[in-house]
Amino acid sequence: MKKIVISVFTLLMLAFGVSAQIDRSVRPEPGPAPVIQLGDFDTFTMDNGMKVIVVENRQVPVLSFQLTLDVDPVLEGEAKGFVDLGGALLRDGTTNRSKEEIDETIDFIGASLNTFSSGMFASSLTRHKETLLELMSDILLNPSFPESELERSLNQNISGLSTVKTDANAMVRNVRTAMLYPNHPYGEVTTEESLNNVNVDLIKEYYQTFFKPNVAYMVIVGDIDVDEAKALMEKYFAQWEPAEVPNYEYDTPTAPEGIRVAFAERMGAVQSVVSIAYPLYLTPGHEDAIKVSVMNSILGGGVFSGRLMQNLREDKGYTYGARSNISTDRLIGSFTAGAEVRNSVTDSTVVEIFHEMDRMRNEQVDEESLQLVKNYLTGSFARSLESPRTMARFALNIERYGLPEDYYATYLEKLNAVTADDVMDMARKYLKPENAYIIVAGNKEEVPQNLTRFAVSGEVEFYDAFGRPLIEAELVEVGDDMNIDTVLENYFNAIGGRDKMEQVNDMVLTMRAQMMGQEVSMKTYRKSPDLYLMETSMGGMVVSKQLFDGEKAIVVSPMGKQEFAEGVEYEMMRSQSIMNAELHYKEHGIQKTLAGIETVQGKPCYKVEVVANGIKSFDYYDVGTSLKIQTDSQQGSIIFDEYREFEGLLFPTHLKQQMGPQMIDVIIEGIEINTGIEPDVFQVD
Amino acid sequence: MKLKINALIAIMLLFAAALQAGNNPRFEFTEFTLENGLHVILNEDNTTPNIVVNIMYHVGAKNETPDRTGFAHFFEHLMFEGSKHIGRGEFSEIVEMAGGSLNAYTSFDVTNYFVLLPSNQLELGLWLESERLLHPVIDSIGIATQKSVVTEEMKQSRDNRPYGRLLTETIKRAFKEHPYRSDVLGKDEHIRNATEEDIKAFHDMFYVPNNAVLVITGDIDIDQTKLLVEKYFGDIPSGRLEPRRPTVIEPPLPHEIRDTVFDNIQLPAVIQAYRIPASGTDDYYAVEMLGSLLSSGQSSRLHRRLVNQERKAMQISAIPLGLEDPGISLIFALPNMGIDPNDMEKLIDEELERVRTGLISEDELQKLKNQYESRFVNGNTTIARRAMNLANFYTYHKDPDLINTQLEKYHAVTREDIRAAAKNYFNEDNRVVLYYMPQPTN
Repeated sequence: MKKIVISVFTLLMLAFGVSAQIDRSVRPEPGPAPVIQLGDFDTFTMDNGMKVIVVENRQVPVLSFQLTLDVDPVLEGEAKGFVDLGGALLRDGTTNRSKEEIDETIDFIGASLNTFSSGMFASSLTRHKETLLELMSDILLNPSFPESELERSLNQNISGLSTVKTDANAMVRNVRTAMLYPNHPYGEVTTEESLNNVNVDLIKEYYQTFFKPNVAYMVIVGDIDVDEAKALMEKYFAQWEPAEVPNYEYDTPTAPEGIRVAFAERMGAVQSVVSIAYPLYLTPGHEDAIKVSVMNSILGGGVFSGRLMQNLREDKGYTYGARSNISTDRLIGSFTAGAEVRNSVTDSTVVEIFHEMDRMRNEQVDEESLQLVKNYLTGSFARSLESPRTMARFALNIERYGLPEDYYATYLEKLNAVTADDVMDMARKYLKPENAYIIVAGNKEEVPQNLTRFAVSGEVEFYDAFGRPLIEAELVEVGDDMNIDTVLENYFNAIGGRDKMEQVNDMVLTMRAQMMGQEVSMKTYRKSPDLYLMETSMGGMVVSKQLFDGEKAIVVSPMGKQEFAEGVEYEMMRSQSIMNAELHYKEHGIQKTLAGIETVQGKPCYKVEVVANGIKSFDYYDVGTSLKIQTDSQQGSIIFDEYREFEGLLFPTHLKQQMGPQMIDVIIEGIEINTGIEPDVFQVD
Repeated sequence: MKLKINALIAIMLLFAAALQAGNNPRFEFTEFTLENGLHVILNEDNTTPNIVVNIMYHVGAKNETPDRTGFAHFFEHLMFEGSKHIGRGEFSEIVEMAGGSLNAYTSFDVTNYFVLLPSNQLELGLWLESERLLHPVIDSIGIATQKSVVTEEMKQSRDNRPYGRLLTETIKRAFKEHPYRSDVLGKDEHIRNATEEDIKAFHDMFYVPNNAVLVITGDIDIDQTKLLVEKYFGDIPSGRLEPRRPTVIEPPLPHEIRDTVFDNIQLPAVIQAYRIPASGTDDYYAVEMLGSLLSSGQSSRLHRRLVNQERKAMQISAIPLGLEDPGISLIFALPNMGIDPNDMEKLIDEELERVRTGLISEDELQKLKNQYESRFVNGNTTIARRAMNLANFYTYHKDPDLINTQLEKYHAVTREDIRAAAKNYFNEDNRVVLYYMPQPTN
């Protein structure tokens, strides 16, 4: 009542003119709350069992058709990925149309049409509806799943998966999937290996088993009425034959005993992606669901005023954003909370998230925060109704999950009845900071050691980018008779001995490699103590020179000439220019330590940690031959292969260098030693 | 109530049908300018009881000085800090307590703020926006915090993300003189060095009524809204400084610029960036349709050839950046695993040669027109999108009626125009080509 009086008063003020000075310190009061009205929908069931939901909306001349299959998930095992791939492949050919014809038909009418393992979605302007439905029906009823399109799609997907290895968010998603839902369809992660097991037969079998009208919902939204919808559905989908569809049951995943910490490495990361998560059982429409959504919003859902956002961003400045989410699901949902934060505050972020979870459980929420969230959720609900698809989604949920008919009509009532006690009850029931996974992807050098204290086992578990546990390469303790000096000394002896190495005064090395489709040849000249030149040629033309003339580093490329007398470039060039630096590494400020024995390329190797200019790498020396066979650094690996003798010394003549997905082969064609290179070779104009 | 609205819409549609060839919706709006220069656009739509208060300032990254890159975006963060009558952190709380939601973004050309509210909170929305336009209060704690937040945003969305620096690396080669050479997030140290004086000066120059357009859409009463706008914005003084706008005209590229960038990625990417005319010019419409011809939908020329037929590419797209000053159009392609990026680029070049030398078919032109019609009809269905579109059309082109007439611009483009666009802009001398490669070892 009071509110109405005020807004009438405001109107009067306005009527008397606005020139009067306004008091800006007074926050305007709202007018009477508007009535939020839900739209209508119609439903009917076809003879073949397909349930149809129609939401009429004539605002724009557009129609959409969404087909949803309501089936249990299946375990895909060794061929994980085939269900999703098959869903996408559905639109790539029918017994009547090639993929090109389908593409052309969709694009010509400016429509969209996508298929999934769980159905399909199509939309167009009203006037193209017959074309669209004819195509949809053909795709649904007569798919041909062409081998050649599957091959294309597999190739694209495998290429796409390679990007996961540098994407910390994707890594966390994968590790979370695998950890939260072991032995459950929700816990399977697609990998290159699993995609290689996908074939058309698996896809066809899935289609033939699950794409049946008796488990299907068709949701039609837009410029259409129910009578026309009935006629169109009859015309295009009546011939779809029903059949029995199998059901599957799975054990429900549970939260871990105590806290487990999982880490996936993202090379060179400057931020950690942090996720605290556990499986949580809460079905859609459960009597707790609305109360839980209020509780989660206060903690870190939706609103900017959420505690995680306020704490981690606005108070501490750790991150651009922090949120939490509770998902409902018929089988098993989840709690997740997380943020992307700079490396040094990764552990503090975990502490703060747990702290906020605890506060939710131990302190009653203040009335103002509770009211804010209720108001916000009310407003969001009202805004969501702007799209006619929302009404369609409500109707589908009521059908699928067996919700009461008035579930959404009474949503606002139920929302507004939530009390501070309810919020604390929900927090105590559903927030489990002591039974959670802490999943982090980021910088392995800087971060995991700070996370061990959270783990109930006292150890961080390491995973690869696809959520597979990394079997820590068996690091065997080295016997007392071996130390770093003996490993290196054995290596020097194996390649020809210290004396022979010391006798090298100059050296010319010729190599070639394929790079980006071009043949590249390189020639390096070295002269004791530290003169160095590398010429790179393409098509017989020298395209760049890198040089160290004893005092400064010089780079000549088509972009011009650059000189470095200090700095990173200088240091790197200088250290690689020193002849036989390996023999005297300590003098050059390089640290080497023997880390243990590890199996590399199927051979037991001494693993030597090398720290030069603050950068860490690992060298591997074959226990059997004493030769250095591999170096791992932040950028990847180099394999040293095919050792051959030149002037009494062994050199690897085949280097395999990982460059993204491509392996670059460098072939050493010739090595000349002590030919008496003139010093003026190491000069450029 | 519901019936009435439907009847009204039906009448509106009939009216529109008389005006236009198709039966596409037409949006009525009211426009006026306050004495202080604030331009106002109102669009009434009573379908649901919601409103949008959208204010767009004509300032973006291109208005920055070279030693303060990223400032427009940083300033956007600061605008949420508070005002004379709104304490630090209260701005979003007030909106959410009112059942609303809010956000903002900064681009090369503009900074846009929007508050979505229930319709009974219109006055609150106007008060909020007038507060931060008239007298924002930004204290040292707020500045320090937002410096950290923006630094983390740089890492999260650019520096620590695969391909995150792709646009940054492209534009710094495509532009040498024009401020478009620097990205919206800018340089970390420029933000770190920002002072309170910088912030005040930026506000005084750009955050003034005569450099903004206020758009309100949704469940409003036009007459009452006019009065309220006057009440909250009428006495805000105009800016006294001329807003800084780049006057430099970027010279044409001397020749093709070709370079390789190494990043922490697994799959290489190839980017071709062609210099194109400013958004809204006749040529720009042709360039935009050319982009769609090349990559919109699976039957588009590049997609069909590179992804479907020859299978060199995993993904390909042609995206013109619609910028206020002459800008660039990007072709971005990821090769399939094991495919030489050079082989992929050759096919792109062949397809470009085809559009430069041959006319597209009548069917292809019709397909493009159908696609643009569909986009046009679907592009204005929410009051938030409509508010943003009206603000953009006003800020960039001083013509908000483009919301109703822009489709005609696309329909006016001929096959010859598309060929000419390809010839004039999509040629080797007018491009930067970047090979974005996985970092080699050593």
